[in-house]
Amino acid sequence: MKKAAAVIVAIVLAALAAFVVYDATLNKTVSESFFAMNTIVSAEVTGVSAKEDCTEIEKIVSRLDTETLSRTAEGSEIFRLNKNGGGEIGEKTAEYFSLLIDVCEKSGGAFDFTLGGVSDLWKFGSNPEIPDENALANALLHSGYKKVFLDGNTVSVSDLLVIDFGAAGKGIALDEIKNHLEASKAKRAVVAVGGSVLLYGEGEFTVGIRNPEGNSGSYLAKLKTDACCVSTSGSYEQSFEKNGRIYHHILDPKTGYPADNEVLSVTVVSDSGLLSDALSTACFVLGVEKGFELAEEYGARAVFVTKDKKIIARNNIEDIIEITNEDYTLVIQ
Amino acid sequence: MNTKLIKKGDLAVIAVIVAAALIFAFFNYRNAENPVAVITVDGVTVETVDLASVKEKITIKPQTAFNVEIAAENGEIWFEHSDCEDRLCVATGKLKNGGDTAVCLPAKTVITIMGSDVDAVVY
Repeated sequence: MKKAAAVIVAIVLAALAAFVVYDATLNKTVSESFFAMNTIVSAEVTGVSAKEDCTEIEKIVSRLDTETLSRTAEGSEIFRLNKNGGGEIGEKTAEYFSLLIDVCEKSGGAFDFTLGGVSDLWKFGSNPEIPDENALANALLHSGYKKVFLDGNTVSVSDLLVIDFGAAGKGIALDEIKNHLEASKAKRAVVAVGGSVLLYGEGEFTVGIRNPEGNSGSYLAKLKTDACCVSTSGSYEQSFEKNGRIYHHILDPKTGYPADNEVLSVTVVSDSGLLSDALSTACFVLGVEKGFELAEEYGARAVFVTKDKKIIARNNIEDIIEITNEDYTLVIQ
Repeated sequence: MNTKLIKKGDLAVIAVIVAAALIFAFFNYRNAENPVAVITVDGVTVETVDLASVKEKITIKPQTAFNVEIAAENGEIWFEHSDCEDRLCVATGKLKNGGDTAVCLPAKTVITIMGSDVDAVVY
């Protein structure tokens, strides 16, 4: 009998050890953070090749920035388009263009990726200031997505405008990261490029919506979701105060000034990173009512945080939202 | 024939399983204690501060591109000073709850208090 017991113990121990090794290999979780696209990128990946995935994510974001999206990196596709007033672009970039032109159109111009000249005058990110009125009017005159034409992989521009994918770049990065994770068979991942987040893989995720009055880790509501992309546009980011007024970085393409309405922030949930990012900006400019309509046109879900301390959502989000800050009230429209 | 319900060998097996479960539980749950702040520069952890053990104000000067001062006291940690242009890091104020984060982008320096109960915060 003693022998039998010893055998059982040995089998259990071996099984336990095998399980631990198997589990540790398959469910290895690696966290890394780095700086790219003028923001902090943090990745937590679970899977067989978690470490390699994290390294690759860093490469994807850096490459996307310097080779495609950056307005200032010489040699990037956007840099070349702006310098030469149009030209050939890669197939993927043409896809982004096409999607973003669609958002410009469907939002009635509330989203516009040709405002580079206007936002330069505000100097957000360095020493922000209120621009000279005439200079602003002039820059606004030389902007407008309707002056950009896409034919296959060729972009032509009928004015000296400055193309700027800043309002969608982080989302585009999330989509490219998602493609990589699918190919590498990662099990689960949470990747944040600045304030835009990719939730990838199995199980449920919990995302906090930033408290406009708190630091960047504090939140006022939680969303419980499956895999998706979540982006927020908030007036508390990149803002400055002058003569008792707050000026923030989300510009209304119609006026060239910060969008001025009841909204403090908009969070958009979508399968597409590009859409969640671009739509959060568009919805901010449009305000609550029109914002909901636009988001729904794309099958995306939106949550607005307003100046009168309301969190406004539609019933498509009612089941997954939990308010954690008692100063705010949930309003389902 | 031995008719005892539990044999010696079974006991050994049970003991091994219980011990394994206890060890697993210990490693899994031991982190749910004091708030710990982690300071990273360019993604690399340079300092870990157990906020509860800080009795008197301490100042930390991480090696960054320019002068940055981080202070901790009374369970809180914050950017006290930075030579960066926008000083958004200093304006963030004091951090004390799990998940609280302050970032100095120009200095690539991040302070995070561990133990957030969400996967990520969108902003």
